[in-house]
Amino acid sequence: MANIVLEGVTKVYGQDILAVDNIDLEIREGEFMVLLGPSGCGKSTTLRMIAGLEEVTSGTLRISDEVVNDVDPADRDLAVVFQNYALYPHMTVERNLAFGLKLRKTPQEVIDRRIRDTTAMLGIDSLLDRRPSELSGGQQQRVALGRALVRDPEAFLLDEPLSNLDAKLRAAMRTELIKIHRMLGKTVVHVTHDQVEAMTMGERICIMREGRIIQVGPPLEVYRHPADSFVAGFLASPPMNLLKARLSGHHGVDEVDLSAVNLPIPRHRQAPLRRHAGSEVVVGIRPEDVHTQEPSDGTHHRVDITVVAVEVLGPEVILVADLGGGQEISVRQGATFHAVAGARIPLYIDLEQLHFFEVDSGLAVLHGGASGPVRPELGSYLKEGGP
Amino acid sequence: MSVATADGLTLAGRDRRFGLLLTAPGLLSLLIVITFPLFFTLFTSVHDYTLLTPNYDTFVGLENYEEALDEEYLPGSLWVTTKFVLASIVIEFIIGFAVALSLHATRRFGSIYYLILLAPLLINPVVVGLLWRMLLHSELGIINYAIGLVGISPVSWLGDADIAFWTVVLTDIWHQVSFMAILLVAGLAALPREPYEAARMDGASTISCFIHITLPLMRPVIAVAILLRMIFAIKTFDIVFIMTKGGPGTATDLISYYIYRAAFFGLDIGRASAMAAGLLVIIVALTAYLYRYMNSLK
Ligand SMILES: Nc1ncnc2c1ncn2[C@@H]1O[C@H](COP(=O)(O)OP(=O)(O)OP(=O)(O)O)[C@@H](O)[C@H]1O
Ligand SMILES: [Mg+2]
Repeated sequence: MANIVLEGVTKVYGQDILAVDNIDLEIREGEFMVLLGPSGCGKSTTLRMIAGLEEVTSGTLRISDEVVNDVDPADRDLAVVFQNYALYPHMTVERNLAFGLKLRKTPQEVIDRRIRDTTAMLGIDSLLDRRPSELSGGQQQRVALGRALVRDPEAFLLDEPLSNLDAKLRAAMRTELIKIHRMLGKTVVHVTHDQVEAMTMGERICIMREGRIIQVGPPLEVYRHPADSFVAGFLASPPMNLLKARLSGHHGVDEVDLSAVNLPIPRHRQAPLRRHAGSEVVVGIRPEDVHTQEPSDGTHHRVDITVVAVEVLGPEVILVADLGGGQEISVRQGATFHAVAGARIPLYIDLEQLHFFEVDSGLAVLHGGASGPVRPELGSYLKEGGP
Repeated sequence: MSVATADGLTLAGRDRRFGLLLTAPGLLSLLIVITFPLFFTLFTSVHDYTLLTPNYDTFVGLENYEEALDEEYLPGSLWVTTKFVLASIVIEFIIGFAVALSLHATRRFGSIYYLILLAPLLINPVVVGLLWRMLLHSELGIINYAIGLVGISPVSWLGDADIAFWTVVLTDIWHQVSFMAILLVAGLAALPREPYEAARMDGASTISCFIHITLPLMRPVIAVAILLRMIFAIKTFDIVFIMTKGGPGTATDLISYYIYRAAFFGLDIGRASAMAAGLLVIIVALTAYLYRYMNSLK
């Protein structure tokens, strides 16, 4: 088993394509770490550097406390599941699985046993004699996973391994991967741009943007305390509503002015905002922190809105509401909610749950809920200058 | 479902008619320069047509074919041809693959190497023959001069029966090896990259990557390259005609040159035509096989 440590790791492709920019990250032994970020942010590059398929331009890469910058991929004892499967097209499923073991001179009976166990676990034991071209995408996916699993490596590196599956199979494979991780206890680095995958699978999530790491933490932690407005706007679906606003009122922090509506700021939440008194901020409101019935705890503020659209998702409904002044928010409602577009209805916004971000840097100033001011250690992954 | 148009033809039908119209000139000229000589040869092969009696008065059926098969020197020529085809293709394949692999790994100046490699292919085979005949001339050739400088006595490249065969083989290789190399390098370029990365993670060395991934994935390209070269090698004529005239003795008497001799020295056009028809059958069979093989890859 292995921990993986990146220190100041940078990757430059060719002369000047900066793909990964001076990142620090520790992946603990046995941890399920998810690399999450939009397309082109350097997730694959990071994973490929760990695998040894891509040279590290500068910085140090350690696996099991050994510097491996110049170690051949074969000697790192990692298994990769490639985004595009990368199965051997001319080999049967069985030979695909056996190839790595044969190269490592594993005895035939051990190979047979491992293949039997792994394929049974993945439900592909009836496919052993087929070529990859004779398999569906989901089956190829499981073979690719199987090829990594039979190897019994130090750690698994998975590059968007579920991205090409249909929704149902993806959900099933998510569960399967979590089970396998729990069973084997091996270190896993899982790359994805799907925030649902990240939230449900990761023990910790590492959120990347433009080659940098923005935030690292357990899913709920990152969800509740996004380090900046980018993270806030990336997680969950629909994500946090981010609204342009200005702090105003008697002391410059008594209210937040959303142009058409003003929301009062509870007195006990005002202190961290003083630095920005009277200036522009970004206000974050989670879709679940807005209600159509007034809750009884007295922390909610009523605003009257115009219904723009109601999106029925089945178990829930997303209400898109116009606050006036060109500001729209999405609101999560139960399946029974009903309204027609154009109707005027009241909404109740939970004032305790408002998030505040700086306009220029996007950095969080105040998180919603009981957590209050931003905890410095959560921002520690932010590099100088911010995103 | 096909849609009928104003002139009563389906859309596909109109497409086909337009296509035929476009290809008609090309097809017609092909018909004239290929089909006509072909049928002329077949027609001649069943007549007693010699340059002494150049007429089609005597129909002899398959007699020319029987006579051709009974000829004393035919098996020898077939054997020389077989040896020639095997030797040149095996060596071309090995050199061609090595060149293709190194070209494939080259990052810089690739186009310059391609140009150098293509140069021999662009030369007319007659010129290739003349060129090498001069270079290899036992008294005047630069090659004997060069090996003389390091103390090796002159070699009779084209005069010695054993050496002449290999000289012709090597000349053909010099001329044709780039064809093999370029087909193979195109095949290598089309290989997927991912299995190699997977193999590196699986712990495969360069050699096991070559054996377990490159070779099997390249099999179709290799087969096509070899079949194509085989078809061309069987017909080799020019360099033998220029360099050795089939000699010394019958050391380089390839089948196409043998047929040529039957026609223009033996003056028996009928029998030569019969042998040409036989050669045609072999080549058509190989081509048909190649065609079917390439279709099976789709
Ligand atoms: N081989 C390469 N040569 C040059 N630039 C590259 C190469 N591979 C990636 N890049 C660039 O590096 C950046 C990061 O790419 P990377 O593949 O790591 O992104 P990613 O986060 O995996 O994106 P995706 O979610 O689309 O897979 C991108 O801007 C990309 O264009
Ligand atoms: Mg990627």
